[in-house]
Amino acid sequence: MLRKEQNDLLTQTGPGTPGGRLFRSYWLPALLAEELPENECPPVRVKLLSERLLAFRDSDGRLGLIDEFCAHRGVSLWFGRNEEKGLRCSYHGWKYDVTGQCIDVPSEPEESGFCRKIMLKSYPLIERGGVLWTYMGPKEQVPPLPEWEFATVPDHQRFVSKRLQECNWLQAMEGGIDSSHVSFLHRGDINTDPLFKGARGNQYNLADARPVFEVVESAGGLYIGARRNAENDQYYWRITQYVLPSFTMIAPRGNHSVHGHFWIPIDDENCWTWSFDYHPIRNLTDAEIAAMRGGKGIHVKCAPGTFRPLANKDNDYQIDRAAQKAGRSYSGVEGFGMQDASIQESMGPIVDRAKENLVSTDNGIIMARHRLLRSIKALVDKGEVPPGVDPAHQRVRSAAVVLPRDQAFKDAAREALMARPGVAPASV
Amino acid sequence: MPSESARVMSAAEARFRINAPNSKPRHVKIIALDSGSEAVVKHLAQLRWNNATFFIASAFASEPPGRRFSVSGWLSDLAGRTKDLIDEVKGADLVIMVATAGENAQAATLIGEACSLKRVNTTGLILGGGAATDEMLSKTLSQLRPWSLMLVIANSEDYIEDMLIALRA
Repeated sequence: MLRKEQNDLLTQTGPGTPGGRLFRSYWLPALLAEELPENECPPVRVKLLSERLLAFRDSDGRLGLIDEFCAHRGVSLWFGRNEEKGLRCSYHGWKYDVTGQCIDVPSEPEESGFCRKIMLKSYPLIERGGVLWTYMGPKEQVPPLPEWEFATVPDHQRFVSKRLQECNWLQAMEGGIDSSHVSFLHRGDINTDPLFKGARGNQYNLADARPVFEVVESAGGLYIGARRNAENDQYYWRITQYVLPSFTMIAPRGNHSVHGHFWIPIDDENCWTWSFDYHPIRNLTDAEIAAMRGGKGIHVKCAPGTFRPLANKDNDYQIDRAAQKAGRSYSGVEGFGMQDASIQESMGPIVDRAKENLVSTDNGIIMARHRLLRSIKALVDKGEVPPGVDPAHQRVRSAAVVLPRDQAFKDAAREALMARPGVAPASV
Repeated sequence: MPSESARVMSAAEARFRINAPNSKPRHVKIIALDSGSEAVVKHLAQLRWNNATFFIASAFASEPPGRRFSVSGWLSDLAGRTKDLIDEVKGADLVIMVATAGENAQAATLIGEACSLKRVNTTGLILGGGAATDEMLSKTLSQLRPWSLMLVIANSEDYIEDMLIALRA
């Protein structure tokens, strides 16, 4: 359980909130690069951390993320014209560059310099790994650029998607480190999903349905290890990475790609679930990409032209009670992603954690909250840079390994838990 | 017409959730396995808890390995009164064993066996994980791992308090 004030601290990320200040310490994924595919393409509305923004790529290819609304009469610049190095409001023609600086007010004499007195709030927007990243914190504290391994491999080794999740970011993220739900909610899918099936490690999963968990603090967050019995007095370990504030990486299976998520607050009742797959040493195959586009693995099929899943609360997530009853699907909802999202959204927009009854297998969640609260306090009280900002904390991998029983996985799998360019992931 | 899920998942509908207790107090026993963890547990015991009780088994840690111990006589409460392990475990919902990385945690075997006998869940908590060498950590891990259904290696002592609150101890 969490007291209400702790829950508020963690779930509220708008401007001026302590939790919002934490998120504003990081480069955050804001858009897929394909959303701004070319110079002078249509601008895109973006809401992040409860701020309404507009992203655009100007005629010189420069990226901008600015206040959505014109400083003149509050019109949405989404209706604006993206032309000649700026975005021009279609109401009275005020024009802004990618920094939010007003560069033309047609009704005022140019020599008056009036337009230089008008500037919209803006944030930097950079492209890396098929993703447009923004930093929404103080200008004097811009962190090093993101170095998550998926964003540094060649394009053909990576697939990234995002989807709308209609609940607070924290309950969504906590699903990513709640390893014990896999044996229930996702039961059966590991052996049928084309992006998971066939791995030797799956047999350990099937043979031992009661994993034992170990939670270990790391520099950037946590390792969450789930161990199962393996042959020759060994353990099969699946080690999940959690890096503050909301990055998780699930242990790989066989030669399948490695994958994980970011959960980024849109506002306090909605978030973006970012899902990435990549392989450090090989291209993703056409079949893999097709499966990911088709909503397999951790990805989800969205309504055309949107990032809202096809199965959503408006259609009861297309729950198939017959499949549930027949045992073809444990929850009746299809696909890992929507199985998770449906359950997490059912908690309500912001779950009241004062009512929950956690058990010892929830220590991953308890530790993540502990580290988040501790980091918020250190940031607010002492200005300490939180874990996860340092690129060294981002150069991590999840791993699936078989180890002797007496070894600490953090030490025995130390190299496997680090991103190593050109080296295959540790996977079974 | 909106689906049932769409109607009930709104913030407005969350107001109608039943506002009544949904659990009974849990009995959580926290046992310090060595002198380092003893200080931490003694500090924790001064805070306000629902049904948490605190014990010390650090005397066991100073005994030479291999010496045969009876199930009784080595576990004490914070006032130094000897407690019977089986009696204490019998009434518990969860037993948390607290150890310091590199210290002797051999009492975990007896506690773990008692919990196994009485079908009580165990959690092992190793403190000082960040500063410990691989060897120190492995030593404590090898003693706790066989008897812990959940094992946590924490860098700071303040985690235990948060964990106990989260577990409604």
